[in-house]
Amino acid sequence: MEKKVPLTIDGKNVEATAGQTILDCANENGIFIPTLCNHPALSPIGACRMCLVEIKGQRNLQTSCTFPVTDGMEIQTDSKAVIDARKLVLDMIFSERNHFCPYCEMSGNCELQDLGYRYRVDHWVFPTYTKAFPLDATHKYYLMEHNRCVLCERCIRACDELVANHTLGLRQRGSESMVHADGNIPLGESTCISCGTCTQVCPTGALFYKRSAFMGKDSVTKQVKSTCNQCSIGCGTEVVTRGGNVLCIMGDWDAPVNKGLLCKMGRFEPLYDTRPRLTKPLLRGKGKSEEISWEKAIQTLAKQINTIKAPEIGVLAGSYSSNEALYLIKKLFNQKLQVSNIGLINTVAPRIFNKVQSKLEDITKSDIILVVGSDPLNDQPVASFIIKRAVDKGARLIVVDDKKNGLAPFAFMNIEMADISTAIDVARRAENPFILYGADITKAAIAELKKLEDKVNYIIVESGVNTVAAAALGLNNGYDPAALKLVYVLLGEQNCAGDDLFKRIPQNAFIVAQASYLSELTEKADLVLPAAIWSEQSSSLTNIEGRIQSINKAVEPLGEAKPDWEALQLLSIQLGKDITVSIDEVSTEVIKSLK
Amino acid sequence: MKVFRSHLLICGGTGCQSSGSHAVKTALLEEVDKRGLAEEIKIVETGCNGFCALGPIMVVYPEGVIYVSLKPEDIPQLVEEHLIKGRVLKRLLYREPVTDQIIPTMQDIPFFALQELRVLRNRGLIDPEKIDEYIARDGYAGMAKALTEITPEQIVQEILNSGLRGRGGAGFPTGLKWKFAAQSKGDVKYVLCNADEGDPGAFMDRSVLEADPHSVLEGMVIAAKAIGSHHGYIYCRAEYPLAIHRLNVAIAQAKDAGLLGKDILGTGFDFDLEIYQGAGAFVCGEETALMTSIEGKRGMPRPRPPFPAVAGLWQKPSILNNVETLANVGQIILRGAKWYASVGTEKSKGTKVFALTGDVANVGLVEVPMGTKLGTIVYDIGGGIPKGKKFKAAQLGGPSGGCIPMQHLNAPVDYEKVVELGAIMGSGGLIVMNEDKCAVDMARFFMDFCQDESCGKCTPCREGTKRMLDVLTNITLAKGKEGDIELLEEMAGVIKNAALCGLGQTAPNPVLSTIRYFRKEYEEHIREHRCRAAVCSAMFKSPCQHTCPIEMDIPSYIALVRAGRFEDAYKILLQTNPFPSVCGRVCDHKCQSKCRRGNLDEPIAIKFLKRFITDSVGRPKIELVPITRKEKIAVVGAGPAGLTTARDLALRGYKVTVFEELPQPGGMLYWGIPSYRLPRKILEKEINNIRALGVEIRLNTRVGREITFAKLEKDFHYIYLASGAHKSQKMNVPGEDLKNVFGGVEFLRDFNANEDKWLKGKSKLGKKVAVIGGGNSAIDAARIAVRLGADVTILYRRLRQDMPAAQEEIKAAEEEGIKIEYLIAPLKIEGTKEKVCSITCQRMVLGDFDSSGRKKPAAVAGSEFTSKVDSVIAAIGQIPDMSFIDKKTDIKINKWDCFDVGNDYKSRTPNPRYFAGGDAVTGPDTVIAAIAAGHQAADDIDSAIRKANGEPAYEKQAAEKIDVPLVIDEETIEAPQMAMPEISGSKRKMSFAEVELGFKKADAIKEASRCLRCDAEL
Repeated sequence: MEKKVPLTIDGKNVEATAGQTILDCANENGIFIPTLCNHPALSPIGACRMCLVEIKGQRNLQTSCTFPVTDGMEIQTDSKAVIDARKLVLDMIFSERNHFCPYCEMSGNCELQDLGYRYRVDHWVFPTYTKAFPLDATHKYYLMEHNRCVLCERCIRACDELVANHTLGLRQRGSESMVHADGNIPLGESTCISCGTCTQVCPTGALFYKRSAFMGKDSVTKQVKSTCNQCSIGCGTEVVTRGGNVLCIMGDWDAPVNKGLLCKMGRFEPLYDTRPRLTKPLLRGKGKSEEISWEKAIQTLAKQINTIKAPEIGVLAGSYSSNEALYLIKKLFNQKLQVSNIGLINTVAPRIFNKVQSKLEDITKSDIILVVGSDPLNDQPVASFIIKRAVDKGARLIVVDDKKNGLAPFAFMNIEMADISTAIDVARRAENPFILYGADITKAAIAELKKLEDKVNYIIVESGVNTVAAAALGLNNGYDPAALKLVYVLLGEQNCAGDDLFKRIPQNAFIVAQASYLSELTEKADLVLPAAIWSEQSSSLTNIEGRIQSINKAVEPLGEAKPDWEALQLLSIQLGKDITVSIDEVSTEVIKSLK
Repeated sequence: MKVFRSHLLICGGTGCQSSGSHAVKTALLEEVDKRGLAEEIKIVETGCNGFCALGPIMVVYPEGVIYVSLKPEDIPQLVEEHLIKGRVLKRLLYREPVTDQIIPTMQDIPFFALQELRVLRNRGLIDPEKIDEYIARDGYAGMAKALTEITPEQIVQEILNSGLRGRGGAGFPTGLKWKFAAQSKGDVKYVLCNADEGDPGAFMDRSVLEADPHSVLEGMVIAAKAIGSHHGYIYCRAEYPLAIHRLNVAIAQAKDAGLLGKDILGTGFDFDLEIYQGAGAFVCGEETALMTSIEGKRGMPRPRPPFPAVAGLWQKPSILNNVETLANVGQIILRGAKWYASVGTEKSKGTKVFALTGDVANVGLVEVPMGTKLGTIVYDIGGGIPKGKKFKAAQLGGPSGGCIPMQHLNAPVDYEKVVELGAIMGSGGLIVMNEDKCAVDMARFFMDFCQDESCGKCTPCREGTKRMLDVLTNITLAKGKEGDIELLEEMAGVIKNAALCGLGQTAPNPVLSTIRYFRKEYEEHIREHRCRAAVCSAMFKSPCQHTCPIEMDIPSYIALVRAGRFEDAYKILLQTNPFPSVCGRVCDHKCQSKCRRGNLDEPIAIKFLKRFITDSVGRPKIELVPITRKEKIAVVGAGPAGLTTARDLALRGYKVTVFEELPQPGGMLYWGIPSYRLPRKILEKEINNIRALGVEIRLNTRVGREITFAKLEKDFHYIYLASGAHKSQKMNVPGEDLKNVFGGVEFLRDFNANEDKWLKGKSKLGKKVAVIGGGNSAIDAARIAVRLGADVTILYRRLRQDMPAAQEEIKAAEEEGIKIEYLIAPLKIEGTKEKVCSITCQRMVLGDFDSSGRKKPAAVAGSEFTSKVDSVIAAIGQIPDMSFIDKKTDIKINKWDCFDVGNDYKSRTPNPRYFAGGDAVTGPDTVIAAIAAGHQAADDIDSAIRKANGEPAYEKQAAEKIDVPLVIDEETIEAPQMAMPEISGSKRKMSFAEVELGFKKADAIKEASRCLRCDAEL
């Protein structure tokens, strides 16, 4: 139990946890203290001075975001001195740069504006600057509008503390201070990795998305919590929509995995996807395909399945498939139709240790981090943020990979897979080694890694989005294309792997492709079932830590596209093997199989 | 050990190096070598000696003779004279600036004599690059004691007991800081030395590091032992290359000697340290910013708590002490807390080093006991203000501090008192400012510094300093508004309370302190667009013109003299001044005190050039002005104030009648100023010019006697009272009413009224005359007495530099054989009813400072002495004689016996029909002030009339356009002011002929050509 101390805020007796800040204590007790530079995800710096309070016995006003409570402390949050100071601070900020709200995209969503209303800032006390500050529009996804900047340093802290990318900083000093990237080069040319965390913490309109700018403030948009399906980390998102369109994706501060962070792949790329969507079932006749109804498509498929024997049916599942779809595949094909020829498009990393996996956040507690045969920086960027954060705090990173690895520049040792024993030697001497490995690991390396079994914490970094669930369901137990006459490919949003995939499908087999986008596979497939994408369906995914997290539908599917599990249900009904269950039931089942 | 017969200690501090001490040292080495003295004479380069103003400096031991301002070319002679022939070379010795007395030995120079050296005890004595020399002076003995004899707790206790407080500025008890850090748990702790000295004008720390680096290292080891630290940093700004070099040398030597590093003195205690070079951001002197900077990040402060004693550098317990603080530590441990606390005040113990800079004769480093009076530092140690200027304020604590003005020269300088006065001790930068510094501009300068150095992290500092600077800048640009002062005060209050670190919290201090002491100057800037120091150049065309009470267009008439267009120059004079030929002779020429040329060599002889113009061409013809206004004006008193009003109003079409009690017009110009300074016909001409405008002057008419106030009120609409100050102040000593004891003005008046009687000997002063006082009247009286054949002595109770009389008058008096005795005050005058026999005086000694910034004289007990005299003239001041005023008029007379004015108009009395001005309002003042008062009154009276009549305000007729040539010389060659030709002292005391003869044409043009034309807009 943490020690509790009594104190008074505005004359009210409250209890606080020793060491917590006055701000946190006030918030817990429903006492409002305004803030601007403070952000719950970032370390407090006491810069903006909005949260000043008066503490008995202190010479000056103190920032409640940094000041720890002590026993018997007497705090005033709204004395005249406090209000005067806050008002002056606001007056100064409002006149420091161009905070003319009607022109600003953030109007309505702006923390500074809210404070302005709260403190009735209805005119400029000081002459505003006529000096125009630059606007940096070089970045692909967002704008850096210095005229709206309040120098709260949230973006800088986010880039440093959360993403550990250190792109942003301050240049000049005093009232000439400016946020800059990499010693003042255009943001678009900088080391920025486009994770967008800075935009998400910006309290004003200084950093905002190009794509969704001026398309609606929070009060007119819908926000749906969901899970990113771009990699196996499973970051919590908030999908912002208006009128059936996705405006933008935000990181969910409450999500346990990413705690608000997203990467370029999760935040921006899905919105910039230019691949042509499939909107209707397609049936290939003689040389050309023809749009048909779902009814006809399912009938055709059922007929095909009924005409051949189970051993002649093969199933290939992609990693974008939801827990539900994978579960239904197993249930329908394996259990009902006795199909055993089921495989995965993606490879599955081997299990090495006979112990439970750790959580990603445990990486920060380690002193040596071994990354073996995986490239989180490029494939699971949010995991790489956590690794880089640990490196900043003094942990040492060893990258073992035969390919070019994104984390290589951050590592103190870069080793080829064959020399992995060197890394093992170092890790063995560490107190808290942590291993992240992926499917590219070699057999020899596995043997070496096993030596660390007793003290190591680890996470298997699957390259496929939902490979953990697929593997748990036993969907990678054997796929032999030799005798197949029908192959059901559950591709979803995945890119068609091209030749690799076609090698696994016999030439004359009837190909069923359940996919979201037009691809080589769908061009070739005999029957194409249009699949809904991440924003258009409710389902769930299992991340590399084994967390099952839900995807929530934010918009209606495009055209006649359907969620992957829904198509499978329709099929089961058509086949007379009804396996209809609720999503909750599926999740329960999946959890069971994961254990 | 090798013995030398002489040691030459040449200063190698940054100050002396920049004035060329290396070249001097080289020359010295060569010379000593050349003469084969290398075995007998040792040359030592020391750290800063402190007397930076006169560098390069060399002290010759064993004699202790100090040579100043050395040049390499002086060396051969110096070696020849001092080292071979054994004669002190006088021309290179120190001269006391006021008395010009030569002081050969260092300890006798007041600058050194009054200091108490503890931190600087080794300055100028040891070679800072030789650890042996430090050790020989008890160096590292304190550390040895701390490591071998006492416990860490005892170290902390000793420091606590000593009362040592942080010399970086805030004055936090050092012992307490150490105690907290000692209590913090952890194996890794840091001892940090703050050598990021950044206040403008502060160089204490640099000097300590350069002169005695080991003292800082010793202090750090002791601190490390006290708190249990094994690693330290000295954060020194990169702009201090010499300090860094010497520190590096010291660290290497200390390590070699086993005094630093592993197993110090074999005690098993390890302490290592390194220098971190700061890039020169002011904010990095703030402790948390300094630590952030060492951590390799942008130097920005962080909020406290956590305090550094708990989580400092890299979140480890740390202590940060200033260089000076650490330099004290070794001595405290060695000699004990009691010894340390034996000097200082109750709460501020020990000594403080000040970097004395600015407008002070002895710029340099001084170390004095806490509680030393500010005046002692500025005047006795600092040698006072150069060029006879007045002290205005001392800025203490740099941009975080505030100024302490003249009225607090007696303040004992310690932490508490300084804060009470609105400044802070700061790191000890003490910038002396003279009357030529503008309070608002000073505040603006420091605010500019702070806003420039603000790191930008917290809003109040980043934006608040900028906003305050904007307001201040506007005020200095004559764009100030009513309410600006209040706005500044309001912002200052919030910024002090709300800023994150010391930089922001103290940034408003200079503003608040200048508002506190110089609010009037702020108001003048805002309301009148006047900068009395003539600094804020946006307010004026030129400093001289701005300083002139009637704003004469000085640059123009000087330019016209240069061009040889004297008639035009005369016209310019008359635009503002009805008495230019008078002013050309007797003006106190404040304009010259602000002349920019004076900063280069000497100011332009503005007064003499004015006289030259009026001497060299005829006066432009004056024509009668027709009376166009119905209101009639009476002026009481035909002095410069009354006549100026009369002239101005006559020019505006009023009928003006001047009433004068005495038989001649001119007021003090006639009755107070002797004719050898202002010939009667010159004055008469100017007065006649006023008459020519239609002004009637009724002489021998005392208002209240020859004409009643009732009559005056009946005949005139408005009455201007300019009756002057024609009564001498009493000395209040016995015998004052004896015959032949005169008041100063009474004597002058009597002499001027009855010159014949005096010259023919019918009125007599006798052989020996004593004149009491130090003002212009005293000098005038004395010079007349000399001309009457007397042996004259002026007795003055203070020193020459305190005399209010014009310096040139004092000089002239001395040339005429008048003796001046200082520090003497009369006690009584003895004699019979008919005759004065003697005067008994006592000697005075100067004590505390009075509100005028001069030292107060106090009697020396038992110093009474009596001198034989035949007459005494007591010219210690004048007051107006208000006996003529009719009480029924409701005119108020204040406690200084002057008219009370300022009702609706500057010059209006409580009775709206009466206005007043000149000496009768201000007490005795200058001619030019009286003319200014006259202009003001005319303006006020005319405005009051027009307002009452509902007429529009008076529009001044455009003056005749005179094209003024602008010639600016490419190169300015230093040249002194043109001397005024005058009759020799011995000749002139035989007659009352005008002493000053006036410039010749060529000389006048040459003098006018010296003008730098700072009025030019380029």
